[in-house]
Amino acid sequence: MTQILIQGLLLSGLYALIAMGFTLIFSVGRILNLAYGAYLLIGGYTYFYFAQTLGMPKIAGVLLAAILGCTMGILKFKLLVKPLKGDHVAVEISSLILAVVLQAGVVLMFGDSSKILLPIIPGVERIAGAAVPYSNLFAAVASWVILIALYFFVRKTHTGRAMQAVSMDPKGAAISGIDADRINMITWGISGTLGAVAGVFFASYTQLYPGMWVAPLIIAVAVVIVGGIGSIIGTLIVAHIIGFMEVMTSAFIAPELRGVMTMALIIGVLILRPKGLFGREEL
Amino acid sequence: MELRWYHFAAWAAFVVFMFLMPEMVSKGTLRIFIFANFLAVFAISWDVLSGRTGYVSFGHPFLIGIGAYTTAILTKRFDVPVELSIPIAVIVTMIAGLLVVLPALRIKGSYFALITLAYMELIYQLVQVIRPDLTGGTRGMSGLPTLTRGAVNGYYMSLTLMVIVAFCVWLLMRTRIGTALSAIGMNEEAVKGSGLSVTRLKLFAFLLSALIAGLGGAFYVHYLGSIAPRALFDINFVFTIIVAALIGGASTTIGPIIGAFFLTFLLEYLRPYLPGAERYFIYGGVALLLYMYQPKGIYEIINQGWSKVRARS
Repeated sequence: MTQILIQGLLLSGLYALIAMGFTLIFSVGRILNLAYGAYLLIGGYTYFYFAQTLGMPKIAGVLLAAILGCTMGILKFKLLVKPLKGDHVAVEISSLILAVVLQAGVVLMFGDSSKILLPIIPGVERIAGAAVPYSNLFAAVASWVILIALYFFVRKTHTGRAMQAVSMDPKGAAISGIDADRINMITWGISGTLGAVAGVFFASYTQLYPGMWVAPLIIAVAVVIVGGIGSIIGTLIVAHIIGFMEVMTSAFIAPELRGVMTMALIIGVLILRPKGLFGREEL
Repeated sequence: MELRWYHFAAWAAFVVFMFLMPEMVSKGTLRIFIFANFLAVFAISWDVLSGRTGYVSFGHPFLIGIGAYTTAILTKRFDVPVELSIPIAVIVTMIAGLLVVLPALRIKGSYFALITLAYMELIYQLVQVIRPDLTGGTRGMSGLPTLTRGAVNGYYMSLTLMVIVAFCVWLLMRTRIGTALSAIGMNEEAVKGSGLSVTRLKLFAFLLSALIAGLGGAFYVHYLGSIAPRALFDINFVFTIIVAALIGGASTTIGPIIGAFFLTFLLEYLRPYLPGAERYFIYGGVALLLYMYQPKGIYEIINQGWSKVRARS
């Protein structure tokens, strides 16, 4: 029982971090960033290249991954989202194309085979019979720290409030003198950073291979749909629902079915309550 | 919309040209043509649903896969003849299409795209877990009965299928139903306001799309003789279908065909230089640039070029 609780908490923290960058873009820009999974991919591989192949300090690897993710997010906004002028379907489709291109780029540079990331912090702690690797623990703690920081950033700072305003009503925000382009660019940058950092943790949780971006994308999608747009708390709660559901499914029913339950939850919620569990009344 | 004699003349010329193809090209090229034909069928199926009505589906392999798996299981495990199993597969796919309509009645836009992606992931995981004795689990099935032998026969089969599907869709889209479907893509409320049943039209589009997808999937499986979940329910496969339809020109019938041939040949010509999955780097890059340059696709580029030439002469 304790084991399930601990594993559930660790996994949920990771899922919340993965979903957060995706939620930000979806609430502020109203855009489904299907290339979000690719940020995780790039983040994981950047860390692998700098920290493991070149042997730089691990913290430098994480930082470089974050910087690259941020740059990619901003570049994507400048080169792809803005020229398409808010045509959502076009942005979504070109995001999908971009994700496949990035995946192929990774294959081109690092090859098709999967890589094992060395744990960020080696060592295993035993808590009540459950083996908890330090790096998973670190990932969960780091997710929580990042999430809390993000929550206060969005709620308290000027930029964060401007982001909320653009998310609620772009026209009203423009009237109040908010430069929506700048806010959007910042959001894309933050989203890219979060994605790349989440990618480092996710890759050390599973493994690093070119197709690894699809699973976290689906998880992010699931969390956002079930949580509803524009709700950081909703994202947090639903990440825990999904995390615990997966851990419990693999513990009590069958490990192969863990993904199935998540998909069934998405489809069920979308059919019964299209706005999500915690979403604002809109759409 | 009226039909003119030169429309039929163009179709006839196209069909005759395509049927003479085995005389002109090598067997290797012919095999590429076969894949292009199947991709064209899938792209048309996607276009009927997403290109016209604007309900973008990211999970089209869900429908194709259900058709493919149904006929594969029936012929392999229950020894049902192919003549019977393909119609059954098409019907099962259409029933599965009803599952996709269900959310489309209430949600649209990004949320609909997401749910179709979820459908695809769901079936991908279910196929591997539920009754692996029937579906072949992760490794899929091989040694299925094939309809044709040799590249030339396979080419004729795939071409016939593609031409029949394309021609029927083209005719259908010239009727009032086709116009209404495109109108849904432009403004669903206006269609509702004109006194048409949007629900019934959507149902029609989904069922037609599922019919074509099931047909294409079933024939494809009996051409390949094998089936594997990883190749079928793959994000790269979704990508190829969508890009084929969009690059060619969404919401036209000839567009997806152009796109399918363009992409298949691009992919094949890259093979000597880049053998593996990294081909998608260039392939996707070309697709992205083309799409950013003209979201309406090659068909529109040709159209504009043609009107410029005519204006000058």
